[in-house]
Amino acid sequence: MTTVQPDVAVAAPAAGGSRRQVGSRPMVTAVLTAVAVLVAVAFILPALWILVGSFRPTEDILSSMSPLTWQLFVPTEVTLDNYSRLLLDSGFSRALLNSAFVCIASVLIGLLVSAMAAYTLAVYRFPGRNIVFALVVISFMVPFEAIAIPLSQQFITWGLGNTLIGLILPGIGNGLAVFNLRQYFLGIPASYREAAMLDGASEPRILFGLYLRISGPALTNSAVLIFLGQWTAYLWPLLVISNTRLQLAPVALASTFGERSADYGQNFAGTVLLALVPAISMLVLQRFFGRLSLTSGEK
Amino acid sequence: MSVARTTADRPAPLRRRRAGRRQELFWGAVFLAPVLVSLVVLRIVPAVGAITSSLYKAFPGGIIPATYAGLANYRSLFADPGFNATIVRTIVFNLIINPAQILVALLVAVLLVQRIPLVGLWRTLMFVPVTIPIVGSCIAWGAALNPEGPVNAIISALGGDPQPFFTSPGQALASIMVIASWIGIGYWMLFLVSGLQAIPEELYDAAKIDRAGPVRTFLSITIPMLRRPLLFVLVADTVANFVLFVPVQLLTGGGPQSSTTLLMFEAYRTSFAYGSRNLGAAQVVLLTAIMLFFVLLQFRLLREEGESS
Amino acid sequence: MLGAVAALGTTALLATACGGSDASSSAPSAGGWTVPVSDPTATINVLSHLSLKNDKMQDVIDAFQKAHPTIKVNFETIPFDSLASTIDARVANKDGSPDVYWADQPRISALAARGEAEDLTSAFSQYKDTFAPTAYDAGVYQDKLWALPIANSTQLLYYNKDLLKKAGLPEPSASVDQRMTWEQLTTDAKKAKDAGAQYGFLFGQFDRYYQLEPLPVQLGGSPGASGDGNLTPDFSSDAWVKALTWYGSLFADGVAPKGVTSEQTDPAFLGGRAAYMVEGPWLLPQLKESKVDWGVAPQPVFEGGKPATPTGSWSLAMNPFSKQKEAAAIFIKWMAVDDGGGGYIKYLPAPELAASTEGKQVYFAKDVFSSPQGKDAATIIDFETSSTAVNRISTIGYIEFETIMNQMFADVRNGADPKSAIDASTAQLKTAWQKYQ
Repeated sequence: MTTVQPDVAVAAPAAGGSRRQVGSRPMVTAVLTAVAVLVAVAFILPALWILVGSFRPTEDILSSMSPLTWQLFVPTEVTLDNYSRLLLDSGFSRALLNSAFVCIASVLIGLLVSAMAAYTLAVYRFPGRNIVFALVVISFMVPFEAIAIPLSQQFITWGLGNTLIGLILPGIGNGLAVFNLRQYFLGIPASYREAAMLDGASEPRILFGLYLRISGPALTNSAVLIFLGQWTAYLWPLLVISNTRLQLAPVALASTFGERSADYGQNFAGTVLLALVPAISMLVLQRFFGRLSLTSGEK
Repeated sequence: MSVARTTADRPAPLRRRRAGRRQELFWGAVFLAPVLVSLVVLRIVPAVGAITSSLYKAFPGGIIPATYAGLANYRSLFADPGFNATIVRTIVFNLIINPAQILVALLVAVLLVQRIPLVGLWRTLMFVPVTIPIVGSCIAWGAALNPEGPVNAIISALGGDPQPFFTSPGQALASIMVIASWIGIGYWMLFLVSGLQAIPEELYDAAKIDRAGPVRTFLSITIPMLRRPLLFVLVADTVANFVLFVPVQLLTGGGPQSSTTLLMFEAYRTSFAYGSRNLGAAQVVLLTAIMLFFVLLQFRLLREEGESS
Repeated sequence: MLGAVAALGTTALLATACGGSDASSSAPSAGGWTVPVSDPTATINVLSHLSLKNDKMQDVIDAFQKAHPTIKVNFETIPFDSLASTIDARVANKDGSPDVYWADQPRISALAARGEAEDLTSAFSQYKDTFAPTAYDAGVYQDKLWALPIANSTQLLYYNKDLLKKAGLPEPSASVDQRMTWEQLTTDAKKAKDAGAQYGFLFGQFDRYYQLEPLPVQLGGSPGASGDGNLTPDFSSDAWVKALTWYGSLFADGVAPKGVTSEQTDPAFLGGRAAYMVEGPWLLPQLKESKVDWGVAPQPVFEGGKPATPTGSWSLAMNPFSKQKEAAAIFIKWMAVDDGGGGYIKYLPAPELAASTEGKQVYFAKDVFSSPQGKDAATIIDFETSSTAVNRISTIGYIEFETIMNQMFADVRNGADPKSAIDASTAQLKTAWQKYQ
């Protein structure tokens, strides 16, 4: 499938991860583990509270907050009502599907586009390279909210209002992903590319057959960047989508907060569902692009 | 540092070079075109539009055409003591939260590449807050940091005095920092962990032979080898925190007593709530300029070798 | 520089004052359409914060569809918090969508001045007398009608009988002639709290101008602004200071909780955790379902003050760029006027207080008013909407005004000194309103 010598890909140290240890005594390991557990628990507790809350009535969430009792994390009444109302009655499930489609399409197109640009900016020397890189960096610093209104007016004139393409397009030119991939590509030794060139490999072949193959973690991280950027998009879909059937999940979730009252149970259920999808997608991405530094363990 | 060397550092044989050069230019153009087109059309053009728009004045709303007003928007902004305070507050906020988040993320990342049991699980747990939609996490934290909420219930149970959190001008901004960091630390940790894993084991073995202690190893090997991911994380984090506004909008509305009015929130409120797009555009231009200054500073401090800029 | 701003503001005002938004923008001129006798075939986009399923707007739309089968309604729901800015952005896109949108009544002046609402005077001013005066007036700006009200609101004092009994407190009278005073309420709520209620007293919507405006007005204060076009901040009078001082003391004394948000107040009362609560009639159906033993009384008044209660709700406005104005007008008319007081009131399953006199009868006939407390509530609602209701201030700068006022109330609630909060907010509002001067 590729002309790159197998030993190059295998020996790539930049992509390989290896565990190391500061001390080998069991005491040190125990202390480090304890710290890790403490930190992780501190981070997970609020999320756990949301998860538990999604299975209890709103009134139960609010009345158990204070004073501190075991009821904070243990519902007096467990119900699936929040989920069933959200998924069956409110059009939320359709919005979830729309969101998933938009995100997956954005990740696939966005990664391709970003990787090509990052490769060029990392391995080629050409006049104006720094200017182009600066353009990429600066472009991702422009707050999207600031340009969303004029841009949405453009999109509607171009006939992209109420289309899935109109939702996907802003996600693919991701300067952050280009930046991230470039930083990673810079760390890949030049000798790999030269060796491949000596073998007569063409540029696309070097990029797709060599660089991308050994950049699993960076690709996954960039995919996460693009994915989360699109998954949490709120203002943009509000501006370009007026057909309820095409609306995205965060907008649907915000509707659980009304003018006078909020449905905390339903909101928490929606939050859990919205959090689950990136989690599952990341596992899929990991299959797709290789090892994710998130979960890779010892072996 | 042979690992970090780039193509550019090593001259290829001359003959190959010329042929390669033409091929490079062709493919460079092909590879760069899509991202450049999308960045220019989707970001740069509207951004230039924002700069232009900041030089106009119009009645709020989007219907009535604007008239040219020069720097009037900027002058009226700087004449407003409230706005000047917002700029100072935004800068101070960033000077605290960015180093703090990166430092904690780095410490956690270093901890979570050690040989400890179930390390992948701890990493995943740290990452969970990132996947929670920010609207959801803000609502949950708003309830949690309520004067009568669970956090105060825990503090009381431990014998402390209940804290006002979002209801006091002294603690509200710090509470926003906690929420932003709860989400941010796990996120940036992910990038630093992949950076740490890319550091070749041999370097650490060499340090061990030199009998370097953990602190010296960290300072002389880990940090220099981590420079690229660190630069990325620092820049991206700075940008993220300069444009942070969802927690402010959802939880404090800029109060109490303007203590959480950050520049991005102010610009959002001016453009969207008040409908003053031109004045909002001027605020965004200022925000971007300040952000650019800090990012350039970071590039300078963590300048890359072999990078002639 | 200020001169230029002022000139610009005047042009904008003049432009909108003479005939919709035709003079200065490309919006089609008003008056080129009428409410047709026979239905056109059309599809109209309608933008609301209500949802088809959760809020049961589907029932209303179905009823409209039955009455006007050739006009298809594409109903879109936007989260409440984003509604105003979405209307702003969408109308500015000038593609004519949405054709009809839900307009928050105090924002109508601003919508009209911005050229984001169609002049409805010639089509709908004939229905003026069918509406409660405050509700109709809410749609008027510079002598023209820009939106038609579909609903109204008021506030009542609800109490939890069990919690009052536990504290040995008498139940407040339901008679509008024997209104409780805020002073008395504060004392009693404190007692109820001491006797075990988690919250002594709750406002349905803490820190919101809608809810709190009647307090200074009861004491003879202004609704918050005065002068030409109501563009001069006017909330530093003694009445305002006194009202805000009382508001701040509620929290300082622990009668009301600091951190509870407006979204959490209904569940708190319905869960039996609050002794007293001032809230709108929308609590009635929920109370019917709850286990709380409740009673209802008119909203209190300050000692020596004059009764004043909040009012106002939503209206329907039309996009001046709409390509289906006749169909849109048919929809607006059906919602607000037809079928004996408006299809919205008639077909929405949850009882919503009507803006029209006829609609009120439909409203009071709903079964939440059949219980003894329901009957009390009906009498009070009828009296307040016609006798004590005070509209929110009408000004093109309402959005800035409301944002800054709400923040001021929140600051006082969190312990800021009322006088200095007033001064800071006045200065802030002056800056924000500069562009209209």
